[in-house]
Order: sequence, then C-alpha cells, then structure tokens
Amino acid sequence: MSVAELEARQVALESPTGGLWRDAWRRLRRNPAAIVGFVLVGTFVVVAVFAPLIAPYNAREPNLLALAQAGGCCPGPSWHHLFGLDQLGRDEFSRIVWGARDSLIVGLVAVSVGLSAGLVIGAIAGYAGGFVDSLLMRCMDIMLAIPGLLMAIGIVAALGPGLWQIMVAVGVVNVPIFARLLRGSVLAQKENDFVLAARSIGVPRRKILVSHIIPNAIAPVIVQGTLAMATAIIDVAGLGFLGLGASDPSTPEWGTMLTDVERYFQSAIQLAIFPGVAIVLSVLGFNLIGDGLREALDPKLRGRTERYRERRPFWWLLALRKRGAAHGAQ
Amino acid sequence: MLRFIVRRLLLLVPILIGVSILVFVWIRALPGSPAESLLGERATPATIARLKHDYGLDQSIFVQYEKYMQTTLKGDLGYSIASRRPVTEELRHRFPATVELAIAAMFFAILFGVPLGFFAAKRYGSLFDHGSLFASLIGISIPIFFLGLILKYIFAVRLGWLPSVGQIDVTKNVKHPTNFYVLDAILTHDWGTLADVLKHLVLPAIALGTIPLAIVARITRAAVLDVQNEDYVRTARAKGLSPRIVDRRHIFRNALLPLSTVIGLQIGLLLSGAILTETIFAWPGVGIWLADAISARDYPVLQAGILFLATVFVLVNLIVDISYAIINPRIRYS
Repeated sequence: MSVAELEARQVALESPTGGLWRDAWRRLRRNPAAIVGFVLVGTFVVVAVFAPLIAPYNAREPNLLALAQAGGCCPGPSWHHLFGLDQLGRDEFSRIVWGARDSLIVGLVAVSVGLSAGLVIGAIAGYAGGFVDSLLMRCMDIMLAIPGLLMAIGIVAALGPGLWQIMVAVGVVNVPIFARLLRGSVLAQKENDFVLAARSIGVPRRKILVSHIIPNAIAPVIVQGTLAMATAIIDVAGLGFLGLGASDPSTPEWGTMLTDVERYFQSAIQLAIFPGVAIVLSVLGFNLIGDGLREALDPKLRGRTERYRERRPFWWLLALRKRGAAHGAQ
Repeated sequence: MLRFIVRRLLLLVPILIGVSILVFVWIRALPGSPAESLLGERATPATIARLKHDYGLDQSIFVQYEKYMQTTLKGDLGYSIASRRPVTEELRHRFPATVELAIAAMFFAILFGVPLGFFAAKRYGSLFDHGSLFASLIGISIPIFFLGLILKYIFAVRLGWLPSVGQIDVTKNVKHPTNFYVLDAILTHDWGTLADVLKHLVLPAIALGTIPLAIVARITRAAVLDVQNEDYVRTARAKGLSPRIVDRRHIFRNALLPLSTVIGLQIGLLLSGAILTETIFAWPGVGIWLADAISARDYPVLQAGILFLATVFVLVNLIVDISYAIINPRIRYS
C-alpha cells in the first residue's frame, strides 16, 4: 500500500459529509415551517405505529346495528364516535387511524422502490456515460412520456389489485425522476478534483462511484425523496379513489374512503372532510420538510435568502410587537 | 435553430416507437382479454375464439404489432371494442374536451399564480408573502379528487350556482364544428350556449388548475426574488426609470424565463390530473376514456390513446424548449 493510499484512507475515515449535514440540520431546526412539517409527519408516524392502541373500534367490520340505532346514515361526530360513523356503521376515527398506517407504509415502500431503482440507473448512466448513458436515458424518456397516473393505473391493472401492486406501480412512476436527478448530479460531481485525485491514486471505478461521487451527489435526491413521499401519498389515495385500491374493500384506506362519499353529500359531508384533511395534512408535512431540506442543503438558495435579510421566522410578528412596545414607551 | 428543431424531432421518433412497444406489450400482459370482458360471463370458448379471430388477437404478437404499426402510420387507429366506433372519431370528440379543460386550468393558474407570486416577492417577508406561501403549500398538498369533491359540494350541491357534471347542458342540441365547445359557441354566436359551457368549465378548471397555480406562484416568487437584486435592475433604478417600468421590463421579463419552463412541465401533470378531474366531473375527455378502456380491456383505444397522449406530451415539451430559446436570446441552440 502506497503512502498516498494510506493518506487517502485516513481522509476517507473522516466523515466527508459530516460538515454539510450538521450544518444543514442546524439550519433545518431554525426553520419554523420545517418544524411544523416534522410535527405533522411525526404525529402521523406515531398514529400509524400505535394504530391498534389508538383506534377505539374495529375499523373493518360493518356495524349496521350501530347505524340503525343512530337512525340511519350517517351520524356526525359525538363523544362515543369522535368523527361519527360511516355508511356501514364503522367508526370513522378508527378508520382514519388505521388508514395512516397503510398510507405511510405504501408511500414509504413506493418511494424506496423508485428511489433505489432510480439511483442505480442514474448512477450507472451518469458514471458510465456514452452508449450506456444514452440507452438508459432514452428508456427513462419513454417512461416520462406517459402520464404518471395513467402508467400507475396501467401497472395496477396488469398486476391486479392490492397494496403491494400499488406500491410497485407508484414506485415505477418515480424511477425516471430519480434516475434523471441522480445522473445530473453525478455528472456534475464527476469533474471534481477529488474524483481526479481518487482516480490518480488508483481507486477502482466502482469504489469512486460508491464512496466518492454518490455521497456528494445525494443531497438533491434526499430532497426529492421527501417531496416524492408527498406525491406518493396523493397518488396512492388517487388510485384508491378510482377504485384500484386494496383488494379487500373493507381496508381503511384514505383514498378509497372518498370513493363513494358523493352519495352521502346531503347527509354526511364529514365523511368527505375527514379522510381528505388527513391526506392534506400528511402531504403538507412531507412538503414542508422537503422544502426545509432543500433550503438547508442548497448553498445557492441559502445565499439568496441570506442576501436579503437575516432570515427570522415570522419576523412581522416581532415587528408588530416592537411597534406596540414603541407606542407603550411614548 | 431550424437544425435544432429537426434534430429534436428526429429524436422523438425512437421515443415514440418505444412508447408504442411498451404499451403494446403491457396491454397483452393485462389479465383477461377484451373478448371476455365484452362477452361477459356467458361466453363460450367458441364465441371467444371467434371474436379473437375477428380482431386478429389469435395471431403471434409480432404479427399483431406489425399490423398495428402499419395501420397506425396510415392514420387508421382501428375500432373501439367497447363502443364499436372508430377510435379516431372518438378521439376527435374527446381530445378537444381535454384540451379545453387543460387550457382553462392553465389559464386559471397563470391568471392568479403570476400576480400572486409577483406581489409576494415584491413584499418579501410581509404578511401577504407568508400568506401566499402558505396558501400555495396547501394548494400543492391538496389532492385533486378531494378539492373536486369539496368544490362540487359547495358550489353545486349547497349553493347550486354551477353544474356539477358534464361539459354542456345535455338538453342543448347545438352544432360543434370544431368540438372545442367554447370556440364553437363563439363561432356560431350562440351566447346562451357559451355561458352554459363556461359555467360547466369553472369547477373542473379550478380543481385541475390549483396545483399548477401553486407551483406557478412559487416559481414566480423565486424568480422575481432572484432577479430583483441583479445589477442591471439597480442600474435601471439608478438612472431614474419609474418603478413600474423597472418592474415590467427588467424584473418581470427576466422572471418569465424559469416560468415558461415550469408551465411547459405542467402539461404532463395536467394530463395525469385530467384522469381524476374528468372522473369527478364526468367530463367527456381523454382521461376518463382511457381509464375506462383499461377496465374494459379495450386494446385499440388504449394503444391509440396512450400513444396519442405521449405524442402530444413530447411535442409540447419540444415547443417549450423552442419557445425558451425565443424568449431567452442568450440561449442559442446549435
């Protein structure tokens, strides 16, 4: 082992991205919007994990007796049933709680599928270049030329209904997005001096890609991944809404819960509101975190916001308070 | 410039061939066949076999693809298995409906999104800025089908101001020379129909246009923020130009650049969103047609329809790239 290689090893031992990430985390914590996002997503994760403990009633079994006792469809919120009953007499609150679990798991798996496949394709295309690059990217272009939801519907139609099939469908739709993103990022990193340095001391190509280029090219992918979670939740709910949800129709899935809701518009609008708001809040949470991450990780954006003014959250509130204090002093 | 356009057009050919192969193979991977879904449960193997033979479905997949490409290139898209009408004829009615909806949605998005983003940036950090940022975040986070349902509930069910389904009052019997209903009504000077068509258009356009609106507002805001501290803006102000002219000529024109790309990129999203919007508002467009065709296993409709949408999509992207070069004289494609 040469001296240069030994030194390169030592350099590699110092976490090469620690500075950036610690920095980004500090900025993220100061961003009130991102904090709101973390709280929203955190709440949904807790609800999803502890669904069996939180949900007071069975979310799947129809309970027509309860419906009859309440005098038909559909009783609104009450002490016993926080969000009321649905058209089959099931406790709406319990269904929303269980739905959080499905939405989060399906979204997470779908994004992981899209992200990992996209990562591999994008990294290979960007690093290999030439014919491999054009071939892979033309394939991605073909996928991008088909509207995403249509492709997802098509894949579900081919694989049959079910949550796993939905995860695959939504994941596949995400593949070209991640592939193109990472390819661009890798291309940008490839020309850097540290890659040249690694190559000149004889680090194998694969190792350069995995331990030098990808860690530096990953930041935009993480931002996109968070935002993709938001889109995935919407897409999954959209498929459910179109009747392509879980194969078992009693599955409490937010999108599916909105499918037939129009028939009960006159008597029970809350059946549309609760699942809808649940989707909006969880999606909002991921969007807020994604935006916060982008701002924290992108040095260019960072420069822009700081150029205008020391960024302080909701500074106009402070300004109002100051004005009030000035009046008081007079 | 011309060479750039020609080269890009040539590049589209392999992409479209790829799409056609992908769709062709995928359709045949669908469980069930059009014969079964058409004949229902009482179909005997013999009738299924006959129907398959009639539509050429009993031949090898290569022969089928070859035949399909031959007829498609001649402009013959075949007959819908479900409705038994020529696919081209259905497309002639449905595509204008979707285009009309998409244009209305984009119009709504630009009409409100650009001013919202512009004034948010001008009052950077103000209450208005925070409010518009928050509103656009909600706009991005709200699923089309939920927004559509709520709009329908408020404006059609509760208030009864606007119709909730369809593209036109079904009792109306009017001529459609172009199948663009708004355009038709204007061409035939039928103002009553125009009002009716516009009324039908409002809710679907808002439902479909809200996400683009939010994105347009955010991009406009970011672009204006980027531009307004540039040196040339300061120079323009320093030489005493009125703020309004600086806003319009120096800031707004340059902020349009990223905006034009983003608007182009929204086309794909609009086509996706159209499936949901058309389902909720029973809008007789391409999206609902294709979604129905998937469940009916209507091969000719799917093959032609998806290929057609993909063609539209890549062409629109090309037009966006070209217009980008026209708007931004600094970019010259060679």
